[in-house]
Amino acid sequence: MRTKFHTRIILAAIACLVFVTSCDKSITLSEQLTPLKPADNDADAGTWSMVLMTSPSQIAVAAPTDVTSDAYKAELASLKDIQSKLNQNQRNAIDYWSGGGVLRWDQIFRELVARYNLPPSPNADGSYPVPDAENPFANPQYPFSNPPYASRSYAYVSATIYDALKAAWYYKYLYNRPAPYKTDSGVTALVPQTDMPAYPSEDAVMSGAAAEMLKVLFPAAVEEITLKAGEQRNAALWSGKATSSDIAAGLALGKSVAELFKARAANDGMKTAGGNKALWEGLKANATSRGDVAWLSLETPPRPPMLPFFYKVTPFKMTYDDIAALRPGPPPVAYSTEMNGEVEEVKWYSNNLTRERLAIVHKWADGVGTYTPAGHWNDIAAEHIRDANFSEVRAARAFALLNMTMHNAAVACWDTKFFYFNARPCQLDNSIKTGTGVPNFPAYVSGHSTFSASGAAILSYLFPDHAGDFEAYANEASMSRLYAGIHYRSDCTGGLALGKSVGNFLVDHFASVDGAD
Amino acid sequence: MKRIFTILLLSCLGCLHLQAQTINDGFMMPKKTLCTGLLYTHDQWTKYWEGTLKRENGNIGTITTQSLMWMGTYGITDKLNVIAMLPYVKTKASMGTLHSMEGIQDITVALKYNFFSHKTEKFTLRFFGVGAFSTPLTDYTPDFLPLSLGLASTTGSARLTGYFALSKGWFINASGAYTLRSNVTLDRPSYYDDGKLYNTDEVKMPNVFDYSVSIGYRAHGLQAQLDFMRQNTLGGVDIRRQDMPFVSNRMNYTKGGALIMYYLPQPRGLAVRGAVSYTLDGRNVGQSTTLMGGLMYTFIFKKNETTSDVYEN
Repeated sequence: MRTKFHTRIILAAIACLVFVTSCDKSITLSEQLTPLKPADNDADAGTWSMVLMTSPSQIAVAAPTDVTSDAYKAELASLKDIQSKLNQNQRNAIDYWSGGGVLRWDQIFRELVARYNLPPSPNADGSYPVPDAENPFANPQYPFSNPPYASRSYAYVSATIYDALKAAWYYKYLYNRPAPYKTDSGVTALVPQTDMPAYPSEDAVMSGAAAEMLKVLFPAAVEEITLKAGEQRNAALWSGKATSSDIAAGLALGKSVAELFKARAANDGMKTAGGNKALWEGLKANATSRGDVAWLSLETPPRPPMLPFFYKVTPFKMTYDDIAALRPGPPPVAYSTEMNGEVEEVKWYSNNLTRERLAIVHKWADGVGTYTPAGHWNDIAAEHIRDANFSEVRAARAFALLNMTMHNAAVACWDTKFFYFNARPCQLDNSIKTGTGVPNFPAYVSGHSTFSASGAAILSYLFPDHAGDFEAYANEASMSRLYAGIHYRSDCTGGLALGKSVGNFLVDHFASVDGAD
Repeated sequence: MKRIFTILLLSCLGCLHLQAQTINDGFMMPKKTLCTGLLYTHDQWTKYWEGTLKRENGNIGTITTQSLMWMGTYGITDKLNVIAMLPYVKTKASMGTLHSMEGIQDITVALKYNFFSHKTEKFTLRFFGVGAFSTPLTDYTPDFLPLSLGLASTTGSARLTGYFALSKGWFINASGAYTLRSNVTLDRPSYYDDGKLYNTDEVKMPNVFDYSVSIGYRAHGLQAQLDFMRQNTLGGVDIRRQDMPFVSNRMNYTKGGALIMYYLPQPRGLAVRGAVSYTLDGRNVGQSTTLMGGLMYTFIFKKNETTSDVYEN
């Protein structure tokens, strides 16, 4: 009896031990980056079409000193001295940035978007404070990087990096000053070597372009952004890739290009995209004049609609007229036979929210505290861009095309939403319960569908072998909104069609004719 | 896109202490007896702590979590009991649009070992070691707080309990446990936590320490006690202002409560149990009021023992 008892205890102890030892808490992150060694340097990238700059030489970059000059030799001596004393932190910084500056900045700003994607809390009187760019550290913090704000941010940062790198490429191949690891055998290459000229340093160009733009978009993150940018420049130096004059010239160029984009951003209509109470009231007529039911906030207390005048924000490589021409016809009017059928379908999905469909809802929800749908498509794109082994400038092109398209998609989607200003399914039938939060703006057309189809169109152009995957993702993201009970089917199909048109517009009018193919 | 409903959590944790009444108390089922039954729990909160900020939220209103739990305790020997619990949970928000969730939650299996007993005419002193294991039986999502059925983590805990009783029936019981929690998987490919964006669906779960102290009276088939309970999550971060709650948040609470259990004179072996608790203080949890009621029945598989021996044990 005694033995048996002890045996049981031992068995239980073993079971516990198995659990404890199998409880490995390390997590595997996707999007791991290995040192970039581009398949092609894209030496002609200086000739590719610009987004905003008038020419690659719009910002002057002075000729570098000769590699035989004393000044340059002094830089090399200093660099060798630094390399002889590198500590582990410095080596870690080199490894981190060797994965590719464009990819790293994309990761960094996805994180910033998620951090600032928090809506203001209501005041005691039921009104909502507006985040203030001049006081970004206050409550509410600035910005509230909701999907339109985020899509615009992704577009500005990636377009700034892209134009700045094309300008850098122009000067690199104009001046042809090799990397220090080529000019001096005493300099060690701590990253894969390429034949690309080093002046101006592409890493420094990116650091200046990305940081200056991000500081405007996420001013409260100034410390972190500045540190990252500084680290990128240091990593370029420490790795033997660039001398201090390569870096100084790159930083100046990147910052100057950012000034051009900052000037554009200051006057692109974003400042007035929130509107005011009188304007919000006026929107109701957009629905009631058609005999439709006007949208109402379903939040308690009711929250003003999210950036209702975002549709006036300037698109990239499109005009507002181009956008308006793509606007779909009106949604079915509330309580019409057609709309009743749509509501009934939403209700069916709400009543039949299976675990499988809930997983799809949550996979694509990209709501509060996340990098938003545009960030999700950057996430999808990043691994394809990494695996394609692009040069920095070609990677920048891919992200810029993707993000400019999704910015345009946001403008087009908001144009349609606020042109019709119709009610969400839960507003017409409050027995409909949702698998994720109901977004605080009108239903038609679905933002997720528009973002996703536009992103899929661009990625399919860039990576045609995977077009089927991108289309499947877009369709799944779109349908997730119907499964969640927050969109009618016509919102989803209409959004997919609109997004695809917006995506194809950029392919046809810019991407396919920019000289990069 | 989404609206704000900054919410909170997680009343299922509220039920834990009620379940724990058999895991962390100072009583054993004698050899070859089984105490089994169903317990109904009703847990409700309107106010919650968003980090350390206490607030309400018009987009969720009041969160109600109901559970119906099967429970059984069997005496392998007089000194070793096996305990099992399995709840069916249903959650609901009184306001806003969020969908209710319901389903089978986590199974718990525990071994409770009375490794020390000392009895004199005046008092009884006992110590217990408990090893418990729990794991989700369904693939419910932990990423829909505060309406998720639970946190979907597989856990293992080690507990030490001390029990001291006077011969007249007054007792004091103290218990503490350290719980290891496995990582959990979300339905989404990335999440933001503790200042960083994680490009993975896997979330590291901090471990948990909890302790409780009860004082009460137990004699003639009646057990009545007052409870104090505290849970500390050993890591995890606060819900940010206006953010959604997250599975690995630092969920802490202090609760006070009372429990009563009574073995009916007839039919022999049937006991009614009722309990109440209230969250006195918390962090990233709802301030819940929890009511519990249930019926337990004791089966004796041994010829020469009666139910009075069971409840006087």
